[in-house]
Amino acid sequence: MIKLKDILSPFTAWNNVFKAPVTIKDPLNREAAPRYRGFHFNDIEKCIGCGACSMICENEAIDMVEVATVETTDGDSGLRPRVDYGRCCWCALCVDVCSTESLTMTNEFKWVSEDPEDFRYIPGIDEKPWDNRTEGWKKPAPNYEFNQLERVNMEMLGPEERSDSFVEIVQGYSKEQAEKEADRCIDCGLCVATCPAHMGIPEYIKTVRNENLEEGLRIMYETNPLPEICGRICTHKCETVCAMGHRGEPLSIRWLKRYIADQNPAEEYQRILHSNDIDTNDKKVAIIGSGASGLSTAYYLRVLGYQVKIFEEFEAAGGMMRYGIPSYRLPYDQIDKDVNYILSLGVEIQYNTKVGKDITLEELHEEYDAVFSGTGMHAGRSTKIPGSDHKHNYMAAGLLNKITKGEEIHVAKEIIVIGGGNVAMDITRSLARLQNQKYGEINILTTSLESEDIMPADREEVVEAREEGATIDPGWGPQEIIIEDDEIKGLRVQRCTRVFDEEGRFNPKFDEKDEKIFKGDMVVEAIGQGADFSYLKGELKDQLAFNQRGRLEVNEYFQSSIPWLFFGGDIIQGPDVIHGIANGHKAARGIDKYLQANT
Amino acid sequence: MQTSNLINWQPDRSKFPDQLADGSFKVDLSSGKYVKIWHGPNHPGVTGNMSLELTLCGDEVMDAKTHVGYLHRGFEKLFERRKFIQCFPTVIRMCVAEPDYNEYNYAAAIEELSGIKIPEAAKWLRMLALEMSRLQTLLRIVPGQGGTTGLGIGVQWGVYLRDLILDRFEELTGGRIYHMYMLPGGVRGLLPDGFRKRMEENLKEIDDFVQRIDRVQYQNAVFKKRTKGIAVIPPEWVDQYGITGPNARAAGFNRDVRKDYPYLNYDQLDFEVNTDNFSDIYNRSRLRWRDLQQTVDLIRQIMDKIPDKGDFKAKTPNVLHWKIEKGETYIRSESSRGEYGYYVVSDGSEYPRRINLRGPSYIHAVSLLERLLKGANIADIGAIMVSLQSCPPEIER
Amino acid sequence: MNTTIEETLTSLESRFELKDIKQQRGDLVFVTVKKEQLISLLTHMRDNENFTHFVMLSVVDWIEDGVFQLSYILNNPEKHVDIVFRCMIERENASMESAHHLWKQVATYQRELYEMYGIDFPGSPRVHESFILEGWDDIPPMRREFDTKKYSEDTYFPRPGRESKDPKEHMKNKLYPDADK
Repeated sequence: MIKLKDILSPFTAWNNVFKAPVTIKDPLNREAAPRYRGFHFNDIEKCIGCGACSMICENEAIDMVEVATVETTDGDSGLRPRVDYGRCCWCALCVDVCSTESLTMTNEFKWVSEDPEDFRYIPGIDEKPWDNRTEGWKKPAPNYEFNQLERVNMEMLGPEERSDSFVEIVQGYSKEQAEKEADRCIDCGLCVATCPAHMGIPEYIKTVRNENLEEGLRIMYETNPLPEICGRICTHKCETVCAMGHRGEPLSIRWLKRYIADQNPAEEYQRILHSNDIDTNDKKVAIIGSGASGLSTAYYLRVLGYQVKIFEEFEAAGGMMRYGIPSYRLPYDQIDKDVNYILSLGVEIQYNTKVGKDITLEELHEEYDAVFSGTGMHAGRSTKIPGSDHKHNYMAAGLLNKITKGEEIHVAKEIIVIGGGNVAMDITRSLARLQNQKYGEINILTTSLESEDIMPADREEVVEAREEGATIDPGWGPQEIIIEDDEIKGLRVQRCTRVFDEEGRFNPKFDEKDEKIFKGDMVVEAIGQGADFSYLKGELKDQLAFNQRGRLEVNEYFQSSIPWLFFGGDIIQGPDVIHGIANGHKAARGIDKYLQANT
Repeated sequence: MQTSNLINWQPDRSKFPDQLADGSFKVDLSSGKYVKIWHGPNHPGVTGNMSLELTLCGDEVMDAKTHVGYLHRGFEKLFERRKFIQCFPTVIRMCVAEPDYNEYNYAAAIEELSGIKIPEAAKWLRMLALEMSRLQTLLRIVPGQGGTTGLGIGVQWGVYLRDLILDRFEELTGGRIYHMYMLPGGVRGLLPDGFRKRMEENLKEIDDFVQRIDRVQYQNAVFKKRTKGIAVIPPEWVDQYGITGPNARAAGFNRDVRKDYPYLNYDQLDFEVNTDNFSDIYNRSRLRWRDLQQTVDLIRQIMDKIPDKGDFKAKTPNVLHWKIEKGETYIRSESSRGEYGYYVVSDGSEYPRRINLRGPSYIHAVSLLERLLKGANIADIGAIMVSLQSCPPEIER
Repeated sequence: MNTTIEETLTSLESRFELKDIKQQRGDLVFVTVKKEQLISLLTHMRDNENFTHFVMLSVVDWIEDGVFQLSYILNNPEKHVDIVFRCMIERENASMESAHHLWKQVATYQRELYEMYGIDFPGSPRVHESFILEGWDDIPPMRREFDTKKYSEDTYFPRPGRESKDPKEHMKNKLYPDADK
């Protein structure tokens, strides 16, 4: 039965007649909430064009496009994201994943245009009315991260354990650690351009994630035949441009490379790299020096089928990698692993043969179709300050060489090292170990012209040297080695106020008023090394072109003005291992071209 | 005809065929007595884009077939070609009206399969978003039931109040309809400053609305006449058809995923499951009206417990190549329409092997609707569909 | 494991062949059963084990193994537990006994699976009527071998002017184009 109440009750709706309307008066100018996901804005200066936004976009709404105002440089692809609002779904994952936090979304949501093509634009480049808005979606904070900003820690021997031994410090990643570190990579590939050898870095890191380390080894050998060595002592310029480095720590690219090489056993290399039967042709190439560039040239020529022979001055292969770098950074057996694989392919090597002394370049030319020389920079440079001719003033390169050979060297109680590069750190840390072994204490001081912030040595080298007990006191210019009673007593230094002049040339200035004396009874100079070109003589030397700075001139294939003679490695570029490898690879291509053209 | 006969009008049944035990009618289309019409897909009396193929005798429905496919976008196929993180902004599109349950189920499935524990704040914030989502849906569906019988005023109130909740969604999540808030690992932000105050103001308005709609809609002779005793779901159908949510609860079933399989922190909330003992249109709608009050209460409880500080997202692997361990799971939650489930299978790669949605409307708006429409009056179809709260996108995905 | 599930599985084991029992949660277990036993198993579950709520029927395409995995999710609404019965069927000419007589909604699932995967359920009402894809003339689209991207490229036309560059390749072209020479 219908109740009267049910007929009257609905009329209570009439109450609303007396209520104010709830409609928004001016809906067109309603400001959206501060977190609103509206139109994109990109801080072009901050953006590095890594393309993470484009990768994460599930609608393929973001293209990476070239823009006129941004140049492609180290660490910046020069590309910028262009958003297609015909596809965008406003999820803001692109903002959350942005490696530099340059991309944001403003809270503007109104945009009228008659041309549909307008709705595809490059945020930050194409000017829009909302460019200066501060409100809108930004990556939430704190502890909200799509990127993994922290490195997986590398296990290392503690300072106590390592400061009296030459055992390798860095322990290497475990499988779990390596995969976790590899997971941090966002596959942008910005590092590839910076790597002198242009290694397939994202590709080999991917093989770590996918547990396909044999493929990883193959990828590495495409551009680098010394992965065990590079995996330990590469200057890892790639890591300086890593997209993760902008807000966190760059990937440990070097340690991942080492992990891949370490995990593949030497006896499997030929099978993995499909190198068990190389078709040998009848061309012969001689290589002078078995350093990074020589080995690299030898490897890439050998896989092309050439008969390759290396002439090495010392009794073992590796050049500076063996005779310059201490074994706590690069153990000899790891050098052997890389070298032996190259030799196993049929590359010959003749030890204890110094070209220019035991055999001449002309003789090589007669017997071989082409010659590559990577003789490196073994001759230490001196500051030539007063007192530097004292018998207890040494060159770092010579000492390191002797340490490798196991020869006895003079180790004083108080040592001063001059130099701020990696060689200075190498000799400092090596001598510290020897001091510790001999005297049970470390008393070594290293000083350099460059102040701490511009010291060329790798940061971790400086930190580790200090951990091991060495004193690093940078920013001083050596003036004189103080000698009393024919014994070294110390080094007088003045504060260095600048190293380079406005034009970027080496032109140090000192503050004479700020002077002090470092105490010590032995000085080691590690301010750089020079090349020994004594094997270039007579007619040959006259045919070679040198540039104004005294460097040999070579073309892009490292071919000198004598067509059959190629140069590479530290004497041309560097000094470091990875440039040597890159030079060698390119020189091998050049020699191949040269020999192909002359058949 | 006298007035009293109009109110208690009984049609002459002799012209109609007899209804068989299974509810169907024996229809001879060649007799010329019947007419086939299409109801929808664009029709104000149909919820969403679906269409009904009706066989009518006079204004009574003899047979009904549902036709879906008007907004099939192949999401479940698309997921198989998208990385896990890329599915997160897409899952929500499987239900426009109440997208948050998709977010939650998907995120919970990924978290379960990869063993991620989410922070406490994220749990509470997820509950807030889920209940707000329920609230905004109920603000449409409760007065919407009146709308299907020509009572438009409640709809206007509801639309306004729903917009206020969307404002709150906007400040919490950055989006009004598609919130994209609960991603695998947690949520995308804490409560903004002043959120509680503004929300409380909105809830007060809704409290008032609850009273007004009661007087205008539920104590309304016309509404009662149009909805009482119509489209009754007998209790034995509930398991036969797989009916869940308010449709089953109105038939006397005390079933609520939030109570029976407590997820997030629902076990820390104080609430009783609303039930009734006769599932007709009126009672189903009335039950939703009670759910609406309960939801307001739950939001108040949740807001008291949300931490203002702390982590709101767990650490996850790099989302650009996140591999989920091989495995499968079924995650359910209680949406305003009933049991909302996700069956997620991973084959250990960076892409899901299968994501399959179990939407309540898959049952309510297909097999159950087809059954309920048999013998129904054509004028009641809209009311029946709204009372089942059917949502086509979750049928066809 | 939940006691209800344990008891149910024990009771089932005496009647049916159960394989690969995997406990996913305390209240959720996956079990693989034989194709021939499935329908009688479902009937038994519904009538004797109080698993009266049929949650859903789903399928996973394991194309590499040549099988479809049918997943029947059953729920015990009193004890609040779920058991998922997996049933592997041949992918080629896929066919399965129908369960439409056990729960009313099953026919809808079976109709969808026929349309989307090509799995036949002989005897299921309207199983061959198109459900979502009226007028579809390609292979069942949810099968793994159906390539959505290719279909869309063949069927529709791309918006002109879209071109994206890979940062790595772009830097190579700009900074060291001669590296491979």
